[in-house]
Amino acid sequence: MVLGLFRKEKMWGPHHKLKSHYDVVIIGAGVHGLSTAYYLAKNYGITDIALLDKTYLGGGNSGRNTAIVRANYSTPEGIRLYSESLDLYEGLSKELNFNMLLTQMGHMSLAHTDSAVNGVWKRAEINKALGVNSRVIWPDEIKRMVPALDTSQHTRYPIKAALFHPPGGAIRHDAVVWGYAKGAEALGAEIHPRTTVTGIDVSDGAVKGVRTSDGSFVGADVVVNSTSGFCSTITKMVGVDIPVVTHQLQACVTEPVKPFMSKVVVSANLHVYVYQTDRGELVMGSEIDPYSSYSPLSTFQTLEAIAGHAVELFPGLKNLRILRQWSGVCDMTPDYSPIMGRVEEVKNFILDVGWGTYGFKSGPASGHNIAELIATGKTPDTIKPFALARFDANAQVSERGAAAVSH
Amino acid sequence: MISAYEGDTVASALYASGVRTFSRSFLFHRKRGLLCVSGRCPNCMVTVDGVPNVRACCEPAREGMKVKRQNGWPSTDTDIFSGVQLIERFLPVGFYYKTFINFPTEWANTQPMIRRLTGRGSVKQELARWNAQAASGGHGDRFEKQYLHPDVVVVGGGPAGVFAALAASRAGASAVLVHDQPSLGGHLRFEGDTVDLGSVEGAEEFSGMRGYELAAKLDRLARAEENLRVYDNANAFGLYESNEVGVVQGNKMLKLRAKQLIISTGAGEYLTVFKNNDLPGVLLGSGVRRMLALYGVPPGKNAVVVTNNDSGLSLANALLEAGVKVSAFADARTKVDTSSPRFEALRKSGAILLTGYSIKEAEGGGRVTGATLIRLDENGAATAGTEKSFKCDTICLANGFEPDAALLTQARCRVSYDEALGEFIPSESPASVQTCGDVTGIHDLRCAFLQANIAGLQAASGLASATKAPAGKLNELSASLKSAETAYRDRLASQGPRPIIGIVSEPTDGKGRKPEMNGFACICEDVKEKELAQAVEEGFRDIEILKRYSTLTMGPCEGKMCATPGVGICARETGRSIADAGRTVSRPPYLPVPMGALAGPGLHPVKLTAMHYKHLEAGATLMDMGEWKRPHVYTSVFEEYSAVRTKVGIIDLSTLGRLDVKGRDAPKLLDFIYTHTMSKLQNGKSRYGVICDDAGAILDDGTVTRLGEDHYFITTSTGNIDFVEQWLTWWAVAKKWEAQVTNLTSGFAAVNVAGPRARDLLRTLTDVDLSTEKFPYMASGSGLVAGVPCILLRIGFVGETGWEIHFPAEYGEYFWDRLMEAGRPFGIMPFGVETQRLLRLEKMHVIVSQDTDALSTPYEANMAWVVKLDKEDFVGKAALTFAKDEVPQRRLVGFTVEGEVVPHDGDQAFSPDGSTLIGVVTSCRYSPAAQKPVGLALIRSDLSADGGTFLVASGTSKLNAKITFVPFYDPEGRRLKE
Repeated sequence: MVLGLFRKEKMWGPHHKLKSHYDVVIIGAGVHGLSTAYYLAKNYGITDIALLDKTYLGGGNSGRNTAIVRANYSTPEGIRLYSESLDLYEGLSKELNFNMLLTQMGHMSLAHTDSAVNGVWKRAEINKALGVNSRVIWPDEIKRMVPALDTSQHTRYPIKAALFHPPGGAIRHDAVVWGYAKGAEALGAEIHPRTTVTGIDVSDGAVKGVRTSDGSFVGADVVVNSTSGFCSTITKMVGVDIPVVTHQLQACVTEPVKPFMSKVVVSANLHVYVYQTDRGELVMGSEIDPYSSYSPLSTFQTLEAIAGHAVELFPGLKNLRILRQWSGVCDMTPDYSPIMGRVEEVKNFILDVGWGTYGFKSGPASGHNIAELIATGKTPDTIKPFALARFDANAQVSERGAAAVSH
Repeated sequence: MISAYEGDTVASALYASGVRTFSRSFLFHRKRGLLCVSGRCPNCMVTVDGVPNVRACCEPAREGMKVKRQNGWPSTDTDIFSGVQLIERFLPVGFYYKTFINFPTEWANTQPMIRRLTGRGSVKQELARWNAQAASGGHGDRFEKQYLHPDVVVVGGGPAGVFAALAASRAGASAVLVHDQPSLGGHLRFEGDTVDLGSVEGAEEFSGMRGYELAAKLDRLARAEENLRVYDNANAFGLYESNEVGVVQGNKMLKLRAKQLIISTGAGEYLTVFKNNDLPGVLLGSGVRRMLALYGVPPGKNAVVVTNNDSGLSLANALLEAGVKVSAFADARTKVDTSSPRFEALRKSGAILLTGYSIKEAEGGGRVTGATLIRLDENGAATAGTEKSFKCDTICLANGFEPDAALLTQARCRVSYDEALGEFIPSESPASVQTCGDVTGIHDLRCAFLQANIAGLQAASGLASATKAPAGKLNELSASLKSAETAYRDRLASQGPRPIIGIVSEPTDGKGRKPEMNGFACICEDVKEKELAQAVEEGFRDIEILKRYSTLTMGPCEGKMCATPGVGICARETGRSIADAGRTVSRPPYLPVPMGALAGPGLHPVKLTAMHYKHLEAGATLMDMGEWKRPHVYTSVFEEYSAVRTKVGIIDLSTLGRLDVKGRDAPKLLDFIYTHTMSKLQNGKSRYGVICDDAGAILDDGTVTRLGEDHYFITTSTGNIDFVEQWLTWWAVAKKWEAQVTNLTSGFAAVNVAGPRARDLLRTLTDVDLSTEKFPYMASGSGLVAGVPCILLRIGFVGETGWEIHFPAEYGEYFWDRLMEAGRPFGIMPFGVETQRLLRLEKMHVIVSQDTDALSTPYEANMAWVVKLDKEDFVGKAALTFAKDEVPQRRLVGFTVEGEVVPHDGDQAFSPDGSTLIGVVTSCRYSPAAQKPVGLALIRSDLSADGGTFLVASGTSKLNAKITFVPFYDPEGRRLKE
C-alpha cells in the first residue's frame, strides 16, 4: 500500500498526432468510449483505436454526473445490464491499479405516497427475483439509517417507506475516467481531446471514417458513437434519425461538512436526491428539466427547487451553503432505456447512446458489451433488448419508473 | 467572552482581542489566520450560533452571539490532527487514487476515517422544522424571497457602480444597486488621497476631495436618488439567462430581472505562492486596508510589504499612519520611480526599500516571525544567494488583482489573459450587459468614471422612460475613455512587465537539486505547488483536468485565491504561456448560498375538497393524492364495502380533474385526443375515454359527457388534470381548432352515490327522473338535487347503481350534509379510497398507472373496445394500428388465489414451474364477494390464457394463481344497469 504512494506514473499523453486510419474510431472520450476502448484492447487485442472528444478528457457527462452507482432497476433487461456494471465497478480499482473510491454506502429511494410505496415494493420484488439485493424498509428503519431525515408526520409529504439497495453507492467519477484512460492508453489506444467530429463519411452503406474540426479525415473500419447530449446530431451525420430528445439535468454541491449522512437518499416524489461524499460535500440533484434544450447553463429555478426539496427532507440543511451548481445535457429516449448496437442502414457504425440520466452507472458494462460486439460481430444477449430496432417493433424496455429521478 | 464595537465584524473583534488562529486547514489541519478580510478566502470560517462555515470577516458582531472555531480537535489552537502535517510527504497529489486499492477491504476500512478528517464545520443532524430562536434575526431558519423588475440592475457598490447607477437613474431608468458592503464607495472608503477625475464634463462634483470623502458623498447621493434603490450587505451570487440576478441579503433572497445589467463587481486580490504562504500573519494588502480603515484594527506591530503594483505603496503608507512599523518594502518591479513623497515617507520611517525583490518564504511556526525576501532577475526568476531576512509579525501581500468576472462568465462572457495588464479580463459581454470599473482590469478611477457613465447611459438608452442622452455625449465620453485608458496602459508599460503572476518560483541552485515547491497553491484544499507540478508530469496538462485531479479552485473560495496562481504554475510546468494555459469555467453561485435562502419560506400547497372538514368530523384517515388530501378510510373497509354492496355509500370525488370543452371544433379535438370516437357520442350521454401517447401507451382515462352539440364535460384522473388540460390546449392551438378548454376542477365538487338504495335516496332530494328507462347506465342529466344545480352522470366504477354528481364547490358541506341526512334511513355510509379500490377490483375496473405502466397499450389492458381505428388520425393511431395485429408482449389478467395469504401489490409473477419471471401483480385484495384474494396482474401474454395458472411470490410463500377474465362480482353487470 505504502509503495503506491510514491508511484509517479504517466497517466496518458503526450498528445499524439492523428493517424490517417484506425481500426476503430470512438467519438466521445467519456466513461463509455474509454471503457469500450479499454475492453477492446484488453479482451480482444484490438489496440488501433482513436478516441475523439470535443472537450477535455471526461468533460461531458462523465464529469458532470453525480457518480452514483446501483443496480436496482425495474425491468429484467435493465437489471441485468446494471448488475453487470456494478460487478465490474467493484473490481475496477484493482484491475486498473487506480483507486476510484467506490463506497457502497447503500442507496435509499423514498416513497411519500401510496402509489410510490407500490412502486418501491414492485422494484424490491423484481430485484429480489433477479438476485439484486433490495428490500422495502419503513420509517423506523429509515430513521435509524439516516437520522437527519425528517421522518415525522408533520411534513407535507411524510415518508412512508423506502426501497433500500445496500450495494448502491458512489464512486469518484473523474477517477473512473482517468483509470480507464490510463488503462486504454497503456494498451495502445490514443485519446485526442479537443478534437471535434464534424462529419462521418459513408459510402456503399458502410462507414468509412470521420472528419474533424482541424479539417483532417480519419479513416476507420468501425466508428462508435459514444456521445451523450449531442448523440442524435452525431447519428444524423450518417443519415439516421434516433428517437432522442435532449434535456438538461442539473446538480449542485454544498460546502464540505463533517459526516452528516451515510446513505444515498433519493425522493422521486420530491424530485431530489442527496448524498455526502468522502470530502464531506453534499451532492444534490434533480430530475431533468421539463423542456428540451442543449443549453450548458444552469438555471436559478432548478437550484431553488433542489435546495427547497432537500431542506424539506433534511431541515438541518437550511444553513448549509451551496458551493457550485452545474448541468449536463442528457439524451432521453421514449422508454428511458439506452440505444445500443448496430444500425440497419449503415454498416460498421455502432451506437452506444440514449443513456439519458443513467449512463455513468452502466459505463463498464456498456464498454464491455460494445467491445464484444465489435470484436466478435455478434450482439451480446445483454444488450440485444436495447437495439434501435425496438422502437419499430413495439418492444420498448420501460425504465421510466426506476430511472426518472433515481440517479 | 469578547467585546466588540458597533460596526465590528466577528473577525475584527476577535483579531482586536488577540486571536490570530481562526481555523484549521482542510487536510493538514494547519493553523490559518485572517487573509483576505473580504469574505473571499476560506480562512476565517467559523460556526456562529450553530451555523457552520460563516465568514467571520463579513459577519457583523452581535450582542450575545456564540462563535466557535472549526476543524480542530480538541480545539483550533491545539489540534491533534495537525499531526497529519508530519506525514504530509506521504500524501502527494491524488494520493487517494493510488492507495487503499484492494477493494473492498482497504478502502472500505479507510474511508470512514478519512471522512471524519475532512469536511469543515458540522451541521446538526436534526433541527426542528420551526426554530423559534431563529426569529430573533441573524442566521436562523426564517427565509423570505423578494422579486424586483427594475430597468437596470447594478452589481457592485464601488465608485464605478455608484457612478453608473447615478448615470442610469438620472437618465430616467429605474435602477437597483446591490452590493456586499454596509456602505457605498468601495475602496475609496479607505483612500486618503485627493481624487482627481480630470476635466471631463460632470466630473467636477466628484473631484477635489479625499477618497473617503467622495465615498461618503456617493453613498449620500445614491440614497437620495429617487429612481435608485440600494441594497446593502447583499451578495449577487448568480447571473442567469434573461438577465436574472440572484442576490442574498441576510435571510432574504432577492430575485431581480432587469432589462439591462451593469456589472461593476471590482477586482479582488489573490494569494501569492511561496513557502509558508499560509501562516497566520500573512495578509492580503486590501484586507489590511480594510482592517485599518473600517475597523481601526492594526494587523500587527511590524510589517513587511511585498508588492508588484502601485497599491503596495499606499498600503505601506496606511500602515505607517496607523503606527505600524514597516521593516521592509519589496516591489518586484525594477523601473519604479522611488523618488515620490510617499517613498520618501517610507524611507524616513526606517523601512528598507527593495525594488526587483519579492518574497521567498514566510518564517515562523504557527505564526509569522519574519520574512525572507529574494531578488528577481529580468525574467522574474528568483536569484539564489540574494536572500534578505527581516523580522516581522505581519506580511502584507499586494501582488495583483484579478477582476471579479464570475458573474460575467456565468452570462457566457469570455475571459482572456491580457498580457499588458497581467490579468484575466472579461471581453465580449452580451448586449444587455455593461461592465465598468476594476472588473474590466483597468484599475484607474478616471477610466472607471468614464466607463460607468457610458454604461449608465447605454443601459438607459433603450428604455421608453429614459431621456435621450444628448447627441454626441456618448461619443465624447468614449473618446475621453480611450485616451484615459491609453494613458493608464502607457504608465503600466513604463513600469516594466509585471514580474510575477501569482507565484514566486524558487531559484535553482545550479546543482540540479529540485526546488521544494512547498508553497500552497490552494489553501482551501491544501494543494501545494509541487503537487500541481507532479500532476502535470503525470499527464494532467489541461487546466480543466488538472483542476479536477488536484481539486484546485474547487474549495470554498471557488478559485478566488488560487485560480490565477494555479494557471501560473500550470503554464510554467507545461511550458505554455498563461494565455494558452487558459482558465477553468466558473460556475454559479459566485459565493456559497445558504440552502434555506434558496428554499425560501417553504410553503407547500395543500388542496382540500369542499367537504374536507366533514370527512374529518366523520373520523376519516387522510392520504395524499397529488396535492390533494383524500379520505383513505372512515371506519373500516369491510363496513364501508358492505354499505355500498347492500345499501348505499357515498364517496367524495371532488379531486377528479374536470374540464369544460366548448367550441365548433370540440368534437374534432376530442376525437383526436381520445382513442374513442367522441364526435358520435349522443347528447346527454357519457363515455369512458382513454388518452394515449404516440406509442399507443395509455396516458390517462376518464369520462367524456356530451352536454351539447359543441359542448363536452370531461373528467380526468386526480393527478393528471394539469397534463390533460395542457395536452388539449396544446393540440387545439397546434391544429388551429376552435375549442376552448376551461379547467373547472376547483370550481366544482363531486360525490358518487352508489349502492342498491342510491336511487331511493336521491329520489327524496330531486325531481330528476332517475328511472332506468329515463336515466340508463352511461346517461347524463342535469337538475336540482337538494336545491343545488348538478350534473349527474350514471357511472359504475364500483359496480353498483350509482350517480356521479358534480356541483358547485361552494355547496360542498351543505350538499354532503343533506345527502348524509337523507341517506340515514337507507343506511348510508361514506367510503374512502381504499374501499373504492376493493370495489372496483371486484369489477376488474382498471386504475391507470397502477394496473398499467408507461408502456401499456389499451390492447394489453384488455380494452381493445376503447380504440376506434376507423376514425381519422388521432394521437397514437399509427402505433395502435400496428399493435392491433401483433400479439402484445404482456397482458393484464384477472386472477384468484386460494388460502389466507393476500399478495401485495407489486409482488412478482412467475411461470407455473417457478423458473421464469413473467410479470407483476398490479392490484390484489381479499374479495368478500369471491371469498378469496382476487387481483390483476400484468404478465407475459403467451402465458395469459383464460384458466391458465402462474405463481405469485409473496413474502416467503409461492401461491398458485388462476387466470380469469370474468369479473369477480356481478359479471353480467346487471347491478350497475338496474
